Amino acid sequence: MQQSNRLRPFFENITFDRADNEMILNFGPQHPSAHGQLRLMLHMQQEQITKAHPDIGYLHRGMEKMAENMIYNEFMPTTDRMDYIASSSNNYGFALAVERLIGLEVPRRAKVIRMMLLETNRLMSHLFWLATTALDIGAMTVFLFAFREREYLMDLIEDYCGARLTHSAVRIGGVPLDLPDNFIGDLRKFLDKLPENIKDYEDLLDTNRIWLMRMENVGVISTEMALSWGCSGVMLRASGVEWDIRKEEPYELYDEVEFNVPVSDKGDNYARYKLYMAEMRESAKILYQVLDMYEGTEPALMAHAPQYISAPKLDIMTQNYSLMQHFVLVTQGMRPPVGEVYIPTESPKGELGYYINSQGGAYPYRLKLRAPSFWHTGILTDLLPGHYIPDVVSIIGTTNIVFGEVDR
Amino acid sequence: MAQHQVNYLKDGGLPVALTTIDKVVNWGRSNSLWALTYGLACCGIEMMASGASRYDFDRFGTIFRASPRQAELMVVAGTLTKKHAEFIRRLYDQMTEPKWVISMGSCANTGGMFNTYATVQGVDRVIPVDLYLPGCAPRPETLQYGVMMLQQKIRRESASRAQKPKRLM
Amino acid sequence: MRAYTPKDNVQKKPYYTDRYWVAPQVAKHDVSSDEVFAADLEAIKAKFDVLDAYIQVEQMVVVINAHDNFAVIEMLKNERAYNQLSEMSAIDWLATEGKFEIFYQMLSMTKRKRVRIKCKIDEKESIQSVEKLFRSADWSEREMYDMFGVVVNNHPFMKRILMPDDWEGFPLRKTYPLQGDEFAAWYEVDKIFGKEAREIIGPENRDPARIDRYDTERFSRLGHEVPFGTDITQGEPDTPLVYQESEGVFLIEKFDAEKSVVISDRDR
Repeated sequence: MQQSNRLRPFFENITFDRADNEMILNFGPQHPSAHGQLRLMLHMQQEQITKAHPDIGYLHRGMEKMAENMIYNEFMPTTDRMDYIASSSNNYGFALAVERLIGLEVPRRAKVIRMMLLETNRLMSHLFWLATTALDIGAMTVFLFAFREREYLMDLIEDYCGARLTHSAVRIGGVPLDLPDNFIGDLRKFLDKLPENIKDYEDLLDTNRIWLMRMENVGVISTEMALSWGCSGVMLRASGVEWDIRKEEPYELYDEVEFNVPVSDKGDNYARYKLYMAEMRESAKILYQVLDMYEGTEPALMAHAPQYISAPKLDIMTQNYSLMQHFVLVTQGMRPPVGEVYIPTESPKGELGYYINSQGGAYPYRLKLRAPSFWHTGILTDLLPGHYIPDVVSIIGTTNIVFGEVDR
Repeated sequence: MAQHQVNYLKDGGLPVALTTIDKVVNWGRSNSLWALTYGLACCGIEMMASGASRYDFDRFGTIFRASPRQAELMVVAGTLTKKHAEFIRRLYDQMTEPKWVISMGSCANTGGMFNTYATVQGVDRVIPVDLYLPGCAPRPETLQYGVMMLQQKIRRESASRAQKPKRLM
Repeated sequence: MRAYTPKDNVQKKPYYTDRYWVAPQVAKHDVSSDEVFAADLEAIKAKFDVLDAYIQVEQMVVVINAHDNFAVIEMLKNERAYNQLSEMSAIDWLATEGKFEIFYQMLSMTKRKRVRIKCKIDEKESIQSVEKLFRSADWSEREMYDMFGVVVNNHPFMKRILMPDDWEGFPLRKTYPLQGDEFAAWYEVDKIFGKEAREIIGPENRDPARIDRYDTERFSRLGHEVPFGTDITQGEPDTPLVYQESEGVFLIEKFDAEKSVVISDRDR
């Protein structure tokens, strides 16, 4: 009747020789609250967890090895699929690393557009985080509301680059496309409505008894644990460390815009939740300033470096040398100088870094993707013991892990 | 896509005539397809978006259920890796008859852009698939249109198909 | 006879080689140009052997001996305020030198500086774990072992992390092909159905450009070239989008394009 195969049932939690009350619960790779493919093996003593062992690798697609076999521009869409909720941040991190390796300077309009993309992606990511965490705790209304906001943002990004989820909107040397006419107006309209929407979510959740019971004093990460585990982003700032790469090691135009960096010292789930809501407001603030910066910029979108970057399409279609150079760059690939570089950026999840070791060839010799969610999943080993099963769900929610990043 | 020629029409294919009982049963089955949440990667996000406020799945009668025993439709959305292949087969076996599989996105159809050592080149190497949706990631409208096409396919089938489940080989 | 292809690096090579191309180098600056880094380097040099040190892209790179790695990182953490290990991994130089290069990327938040510590080990050598200093090294070293086969001593749980536990081979080595060796190609079939199913299911289709001419109508006309604009539909009508059957379904309202309204105003 059933298709015969070699898979036999396995039971981890029933062992017949044990005398203690320990149970092993397998929070399997397919689970609605696992935010992807996380397998947690929890050793439990009557509902309280004594040991947690996260098992990852169920989405390992071999991106680092792919990079060793592809030219730099060809690898850009693959970076999209790492943190697939805020794709332009990954694209941007990669483009920045290669540009620093080469030593390129990106024109101002491209920088403004990149800032818009980065902050819009931050908003999208935080809205998605809010939606899924609230859904896991049980607040389905917030899920539907936050996805509604997210759809407006995805419409904007779709107007810009054509794709909702996997953008590839940032290229090495700048951006390929200019903003469409309606983009700034629509974005402004969205930002005008955003504060009341955030207030809606806060009204629903902030003083909600159930939310407070699930979130307060749950998943407390001390400063030493956060620093030791390589946490970054909101996980670190919720534990009292004031470290935001946009402020400390500014890139792009972050030193020209004014924004605050919210920090908390409690380190529990509720602190992380408040920080994400505050960061959404800060992103809106940054976007207002960036929208005003767009006007006076010259219409150059890609850096002028004929050895590495192709000319604009108008030149390619009309000038012979531009066409020849573009052909060579597309077929053979651009060859950066010999050297290595590690550039961190502040993605919505934390410190996203790219380590590129180039030997002068068209393919990188080694590309290591430093994904923040990798260590945020590792910290579950030390964080979960002592909590109960429902806490596992809320902790996984607030650590904001994306498995495209963890497994690459 | 699979190189081995799977003949899906052989079992429970187009019958000569559908009786009224068949029609009623198929009407019921097609209009309340409960889907198993199988979002693996980026396509999973689009699947969630298609179930969220703008593109609603509830109007099809589709509710996302987490347990394979309660679901009839498995939407494989995202990349299937070799480490996970065993588990998708287990969950497919645990689903009760009748069951259908939609393979959503390039990674589930053929392995997608990840032509690497750790990716299964197409989810139909391990489970039999009814509908393939192209895209990377497919828009939510694509998934909903795919579900509508699957509904039409279900209504054409013979209702006693449950006696002969689809075999991969 | 086929041409000899060296097996020590099977990654894709660029198709064209530029015979007279000399690759430029990213600029390396002397460490003395930055006081903070110079002070750190002096502290390291006082106790350990430094093989090389320079500043590249505003980060200091220090090359040390592999057996010093724990002590150097401990000193940097405790005395020089480098409080986070951002990343660590290996680079495969087995084809050219027969060694792995391990790098540790460290961050000092108070000083706002990043430092990279590099060391080289042989293929069969193992390296000391720094997990006691930074817990993030726990998983990083497991990943390094999984991907390269670099064995790490004194690690609490030295098992594969990204690949399945029974995987054979170390994927990120240059000798491992991108598409996987035979073990990788049949892994899921062997595991689920057994070796007998290999012929039934067939090999993987690793050719991204494979087109089956008879698979889909009007998809491609392989073997025949036609002038641009020729009709290749062979009389088949254009398939419209059909949401329901033409008779309609009981109780379900049939989609009618005339009756539906396209909303283009987002504020509505």
